[in-house]
Amino acid sequence: MSVNSLLAFLDNPGIILTLGAFLTVLAPVALRRPIMLGVVAFSAFRLWGMEIGDSLAFTLFDLEIMPVQYDVLSRLFLVVFHIAAGLNVIYSWMVKDRSECFAALAYPAAAMGGVLAGDWITLFIWWELAALTSVFLVWAPQTRESYLSGLRYMSIQIASGVILLGGIVLVFREQDSLAIGTLSLRDGGGNFNIAALMLFIALGIKSAFPMLHNWVQDAYPKATIGGTIILSVFTTKLAVYMFARVFVGTPELIWIGAIMTIFPIFFALIENDLRKVLTYSINNQVGFMIVGIGFGTAASVNGAVGYAFGNIIFESLLFMSVGAAMYRTGTSKATELGGLYRTMPITLFFCLIGALSISAFPGFAGFVTKGLILDGAAEAHNLIIWLILLFASAGVLEHAGIKIPYFTFFAHDSGKRPKEAPLPMLIAMGIAAFLSVVIGLYPQPLFALLPHQAHIVDYNPFTAYHFVEQLQLLLFAVLAFALLIKFKLYPPEVPSTNLDVDWFYRIPGRAVLFAIIGFVVAAWRVVWGGLQKLVGSIVERTHRTHGPEGALARSWPVGFMALWTAVVLGAALIVLFLNQ
Amino acid sequence: MDFFAQLPALPVVVPFVAAPMALLMPPGRIPWLWAVLVSWVSFGLSLLLLEQVWVNGPVTYAMGGWAAPLGIIYYIDLANALVLSLVTGIAAVVFPYAYNSVRDEINHGQTPGFYTALLLCLAGLIGVTMTGDAFNVFVFLEVSSLATYTLVAMGAGRDRRALTAAFNYLVMGTIGATFFVIGIGLLYQATGTLNMLDLHERLAGQDNRLVKAAFAFIITGLGLKLAMLPLHLWLPPAYTYAPSAITAFLAATATKVAVYIMLRFLFTVFGFDFPFLKVALDFFLVLGIAGMFIASLAAVFQDDVKMLLAYSSVAQIGYMLLGISLGTVDGVAASLIHVVNHAFIKAALFMAVGIVVLRLGSHQLRAFQGLATRMPWTSWGIVVAGLSLVGVPATVGFVSKFALLSAVFAKGGTMEIIAGFLILASSLLAVIYMMRVIKVMLQPVPTDGPFAGPVAAPPLTMRLMLWIMVGVNIYFGLQAQPVIAIAQKAAATLLGVDSGEAF
Repeated sequence: MSVNSLLAFLDNPGIILTLGAFLTVLAPVALRRPIMLGVVAFSAFRLWGMEIGDSLAFTLFDLEIMPVQYDVLSRLFLVVFHIAAGLNVIYSWMVKDRSECFAALAYPAAAMGGVLAGDWITLFIWWELAALTSVFLVWAPQTRESYLSGLRYMSIQIASGVILLGGIVLVFREQDSLAIGTLSLRDGGGNFNIAALMLFIALGIKSAFPMLHNWVQDAYPKATIGGTIILSVFTTKLAVYMFARVFVGTPELIWIGAIMTIFPIFFALIENDLRKVLTYSINNQVGFMIVGIGFGTAASVNGAVGYAFGNIIFESLLFMSVGAAMYRTGTSKATELGGLYRTMPITLFFCLIGALSISAFPGFAGFVTKGLILDGAAEAHNLIIWLILLFASAGVLEHAGIKIPYFTFFAHDSGKRPKEAPLPMLIAMGIAAFLSVVIGLYPQPLFALLPHQAHIVDYNPFTAYHFVEQLQLLLFAVLAFALLIKFKLYPPEVPSTNLDVDWFYRIPGRAVLFAIIGFVVAAWRVVWGGLQKLVGSIVERTHRTHGPEGALARSWPVGFMALWTAVVLGAALIVLFLNQ
Repeated sequence: MDFFAQLPALPVVVPFVAAPMALLMPPGRIPWLWAVLVSWVSFGLSLLLLEQVWVNGPVTYAMGGWAAPLGIIYYIDLANALVLSLVTGIAAVVFPYAYNSVRDEINHGQTPGFYTALLLCLAGLIGVTMTGDAFNVFVFLEVSSLATYTLVAMGAGRDRRALTAAFNYLVMGTIGATFFVIGIGLLYQATGTLNMLDLHERLAGQDNRLVKAAFAFIITGLGLKLAMLPLHLWLPPAYTYAPSAITAFLAATATKVAVYIMLRFLFTVFGFDFPFLKVALDFFLVLGIAGMFIASLAAVFQDDVKMLLAYSSVAQIGYMLLGISLGTVDGVAASLIHVVNHAFIKAALFMAVGIVVLRLGSHQLRAFQGLATRMPWTSWGIVVAGLSLVGVPATVGFVSKFALLSAVFAKGGTMEIIAGFLILASSLLAVIYMMRVIKVMLQPVPTDGPFAGPVAAPPLTMRLMLWIMVGVNIYFGLQAQPVIAIAQKAAATLLGVDSGEAF
């Protein structure tokens, strides 16, 4: 490998940021954050210099390996990933912890490397690196709880990688090529293609499909304040990107995505930890993107990835504002917050911008691209999906648009009078808020990044139809919230997740809504609790048999070993003699 | 006398003659230097032989000029040339490594005896690999095994449990060898010959009880030698309590040679003409999968790192058996690839553990706390080799897994597809037990307890040899083509015996 080709290999965001992560760790503590910012800026500068169609390929034992493949779709994700990584570096300016600083660059680097990957092996490597680097963010608080949660998180992520590898081997056998291309989940006869299905499940785990989603709520809120924000951006969006590359137009995705938009709403409504509420909101938001990819039309794919772009910014903004409140008060529980508007007005202001953006209020970032996804459902004449998406949009407003600012800054007065958020946090939130508004008012630069340019040039989000559709929805949702609060029917903030489900049944008038919630919660508890108990007892039992004292791992007396030999010989003789 | 004409005999003769000479040397450094020299010479000779076989095809050498089938012949094709190079190559790295570890663990006066036994063990393993005579296999197997029992017992200086482990190993190993020799006796009765190629020809069509019994005795005996589940019980204690260098050497060679000889008997001596071979292969499939899981699970719960790695070895044998059980060229090649790659992985891991034992005096998991700070080079060696064991790309472990998965999916039956998924699932167990070790190493250095206090830097030779082995893990992970090509061709030769192509 000549020097030039080595440089070409190193010159992409994935590698630059990875090297930067090591540089950061070795640097003196005081210089860490400035170096991190410099590395992100340098990487962005090199990205600026890349041309659409750039690629880098070499042959490794007869296999075509393509570490860099730069096209319009990867450009959009790389741009927004850089923005998110930069914002996080600024936001956590005070944090100098070595492993957190390392992960804050290495984990985005892995996600970006995955976005650039042109072949499955490269993707697999970055995929696993993303899992291994991000777990340090979960471990960063150094509590036993976060340690255990990190282990669970990593097992699931590695499992996804293992399934991915299995799928890769099968795809390679079928196609004799490792290049990443579109796959269809079913073959001509309508049967599942096992190779594609494995890849689908691997991506599904990372994008937190319903029933595969629990790692998000389990691990993300356990990380540090900054860690949660970084985590919220990359893993799920990398999976969304891969769906857009590989499974675009897969009808199964429409339904899965629709369910993803719906089910977190109920959990988010009754959840007390506001950071956990936001993790449910991630599921819900990713659901919208998945639906858009599932429709697979040029317009809906534009909408899905464009929505991902905006979502990364305003979802981070919401996480940042809750994080700022947590930084000052030490808690993110709705029951322990409230009334902070008196002393944290700037944070409140930014939080409201994030809330309006995620609720797709006209003039904010969510609005300009959500219409594209909803239009996709309408175009396909799929009324049920369209209604689900509308309902889910209203739900977003309830839990993310209203609940987050309301319980943090208003609601009951917690008596806490914290100082305004520190300057670096304010700067990061300010930039994110600024971007949310700019994209909302002047979406042309974002539209210029979208993959299907032909279908976006004449698209105008600011039509009367979109306004009316969205505003009706929003106003009714606000009205519903106001009425629920007014008549004290809104699920109250409760200090723990152990809601008394019976309580909901006994109060007349709300039976229908809360019966559904109760049922979902109870069913979930039975399934999840049962699973946990099952896993626990399996581990316990295997320890009994395989542990150092267990029958299968004991140092047996020599006679037993000899007996085993006789048993095997006897079995071999019998089997051979019987086999004619 | 032409050197190249005698080349096939030299890898055996050199260590065999050198071994007793070591006994005459003064204790200390000199026997060690001698052993290192012999291992390097053997390695060089093996590589020459490998090259010759690769270029010119199988080599036959008649010992003492007695022609087959009366005399003993050495028959070397790619399969044994590959295993031979592996055994001597591992010796060439582990022997230099051994010095400091042996000085610490073995009584000074015993060092000449130790290196004599080590060279005998090496000579025996080389002999098993090279010979083309069934009874000669037994002789060499016993030479290496007897030396091994002695070597394991020499761990008693550090931990008395080595004596029980060695005794158990002795009894079990002898039972295995006895079964094996009974099997060979039965074959002799059936055919009147001991030469492997001759055996194959004369066994053709003899599908009777005598041959079946011989077959059962041979696979059981060899199964014990290669630690096939449930005949693996001798292995974990023997590996755990043997001196560090011995564990590193044995883990990378002894069971691997047994796997090779199993392949030789299955495919060269018997072959697919016998319907019972298929039955045996199904047998291996089940036992292989059982080994992958039962031994991996046992490894997950170990608190002793050597014991953990030993159970992991038993699990890895499961992968090799699985590859063999496919009965295809791809499957056997994958098995051979894993034989080589797993030897690299386990040699590196056990060498790293040996360094820890030298400095901290224990191979308990607790002793590894804070190792990343104390011994960064050793710790990162463990991490890289551990990742290789798990099968991360750019390491040899990945090459093995990829080859095995491809072979399994290429076979394409339902049972095989399930086995493929089980391979993936059991890799997860490897992640778990290696992460346990790595996590402990990353914890802060203990401030009290037996493992507190400063630790001197490990000797340079040990670290150097460890990193050569780790480097091999990476190098052959990136340059997998040579090993894959040799293994493919070797497997084709092994299985091709049936169709008469090889001779």
